[in-house]
Amino acid sequence: MLSKIHHVGVVVQSADQALKFYRDALGLPVTADRVIEDQGVRGVLLQIGGSEIELLEPTRDDTGVARFLATRGEGMHHICFESDDVGAELEAARVKGIELIDQHPRPGLAGMICFLHPKSNHGVLVEFATPLHEGH
Amino acid sequence: MSIAATHIDHIVISSNDSAATAQIFAEHFGLEIKRTMSRPGTGAHLEFAKLQEVVLEFAGPGEVKPHDGVTAKLGGVVLAVEDIHATIAAIRAAGFPIGDPHPAVQPGALFTGMKGGTNGVPFGFIQYNAIPIPEPSP
Repeated sequence: MLSKIHHVGVVVQSADQALKFYRDALGLPVTADRVIEDQGVRGVLLQIGGSEIELLEPTRDDTGVARFLATRGEGMHHICFESDDVGAELEAARVKGIELIDQHPRPGLAGMICFLHPKSNHGVLVEFATPLHEGH
Repeated sequence: MSIAATHIDHIVISSNDSAATAQIFAEHFGLEIKRTMSRPGTGAHLEFAKLQEVVLEFAGPGEVKPHDGVTAKLGGVVLAVEDIHATIAAIRAAGFPIGDPHPAVQPGALFTGMKGGTNGVPFGFIQYNAIPIPEPSP
């Protein structure tokens, strides 16, 4: 069952530059900041209430995030729903006929994650995530 | 100066047919559409779902025009704050442009938005219980 909005993803040119607003001006605490090599992104999570804002900075040019930045510029990239069982959510989505990007859950910044194709949601990219430990 | 932002108040999903997009999200993700309304002044058609503290606002035109397909996108984020005047002062002090507060659609609330957004994200801030709600006349 989808329990809450885990985060909204924002593609940025430079996470360091964006942190001047999100961390320094808004005062949001950074809960994770790491490069995910196989996805070619640096991801930064900032907590706000029970949810987070995820900054995504491409670290190479051949990724979906890099293409998003090149074609659309900085902006909101996806919305992520939290579930206690991302695999079950993915299977339920498959049964509903929702087009999937990930056929199986995989590790991501928010825990075990998967993405649904935006075509199935009127153009909105949706992620499911099951955090690997409490509070993240 | 720090901003006491308590949570994401709502996330806007803009669509050329907000009722259809709200329905897709309800069907796909089990969301319950709690409320629908026309925005005063613009006539925009709004539908709302809520997951814990965060509202998803599906926003679209009041009159859906003929289209080749429904298209939607993430349209902005609004954060709830404890003191909108302190928020505005802090954001301006950090060098970011932000408008003056004005009454929100929500009774008793004040809202302000960042002109042009930041990092491509239209950003707003809302403080609830910011202005007294007039008692109804007897």
